Amino acid sequence: MKRSISISIIGFIAFFPILLLAFLSLSEQWMFPNILPDRLASGPWKLLLTGKSELLYSLLLSVGISLLVAVVVTIFSFFASRQIAYSPIGKKILWLTYFPYVFAPVLLGAILQYYFIRYGMSGKISGVLLGQFFITFPYGIIFFISFWNARIRSFEDLVSTLGGNPFQKYKQVLFPIARPAISLVFFQTFLISWFDYGLTMLIGIGQVQTLPIKVFQYVNSANMNHAAAASLLLILPPVILLWINKKYVLTRWQM
Amino acid sequence: MFTTESVFKDLRLQVNEGEVLSILGASGSGKTTLLKVIAGLEAEDEGDIRWKGKRMNKMMPQDREIIYLYQEPLLFPHLNVFENVAFGLRLRKVQEKEINRRVEHVLTSLGIESHARKSPEQLSGGQKQRVAFGRALIIQPKMILLDEPFGALDHDTRRQMQQLLRQILENEKMTAIFVTHDIKEAIQMGNRIGKMERGNLHIYPSLKAFVEDPGSGAQEEGRFWKNLL
Repeated sequence: MKRSISISIIGFIAFFPILLLAFLSLSEQWMFPNILPDRLASGPWKLLLTGKSELLYSLLLSVGISLLVAVVVTIFSFFASRQIAYSPIGKKILWLTYFPYVFAPVLLGAILQYYFIRYGMSGKISGVLLGQFFITFPYGIIFFISFWNARIRSFEDLVSTLGGNPFQKYKQVLFPIARPAISLVFFQTFLISWFDYGLTMLIGIGQVQTLPIKVFQYVNSANMNHAAAASLLLILPPVILLWINKKYVLTRWQM
Repeated sequence: MFTTESVFKDLRLQVNEGEVLSILGASGSGKTTLLKVIAGLEAEDEGDIRWKGKRMNKMMPQDREIIYLYQEPLLFPHLNVFENVAFGLRLRKVQEKEINRRVEHVLTSLGIESHARKSPEQLSGGQKQRVAFGRALIIQPKMILLDEPFGALDHDTRRQMQQLLRQILENEKMTAIFVTHDIKEAIQMGNRIGKMERGNLHIYPSLKAFVEDPGSGAQEEGRFWKNLL
């Protein structure tokens, strides 16, 4: 009894902000000191579903950028970390991967801004993609580097002597064993990209209207209705990804 | 060579087909490096590796048909016992029916047919080692290189595995190099014995010659047990 009450309280605390956002997004008018909105309306959601809202464009743009960053970084950092791990000077190279984290991402973006402007990438999606790649690629390497240990090296040698070529080695052994690490790096880089505001604002100079940019724009213009809807959209893909990860990736691995 | 240190030099080794050569040596004597060079996992600075007169130095490990087995069984954690044993056959795109037939046969000969659907973490050390042997033997390699395969096993399991492996190698007429630092094991497993010391390999013409050599360690071990009794 006590346990179920505790769980209910914790669940309520966890879900209350989301419920509040849902109410805010559906409310046309909500005056103090009313506990519930004066009028409910599905304004922003109707516009979203009929494709007449900028929110839909921002949602799709954010999904596209985050997915692309996550896929590219996961692939590149997986193979790059292998080369670094097996290199005689790997430890020295690894020090370089920490370099982007010496500075705040926005500061790094500001430092690189000259080159983005110079090569016409400022205010472009390509510029935002490249900026986010700079931040997330070293993260992927740092995460994957611990995967390439002596045991994995032995597996690679074993597959070779059993007759496996490099493609078979990756497909049949390394990728399946690395699945939890790969999915973790993918999800983490997706989330870093998904929630990024500072770097996107700096490099995109407001032209690249991702969902976090939109949330702040609505908040600044006191459009709480739309801000709440955008915020709910912001948390939706990470929740879906977590569910996919738990249901399909981790479960398959445990089997 | 590792950087400027020579692991072994002027080493001559010949293994006859169907023979098991035991190589005895302490840690750091170069045994593992020797096996890895033969398997193609380490590159030699100079010298020839030949199989039936054909030079193999430029051949990739996957083309040599020489399997190197570690001390640890190294079973693939994402595959069950059946799939671990079938692994080499799947690499060679053998037909499913043939895979089933051969894997069942190997599992039965190793006494682990009832564990076919288990995952590696559900097996004991000895069972894992059997699966590792099965995975190597099923593809009928030219040679198997065994690097202290029983080092991590308890005494009884070790004895069982020695008998099992000896029997399998004889039945399959497999060519093998068996590396160990245990004199008794070297005598039990090998048709001939070699001793590796500081990168130099001396191969005895017979087991008798090995036992009679005061430098081999066999007489010293015999005296130890005699004095104990």
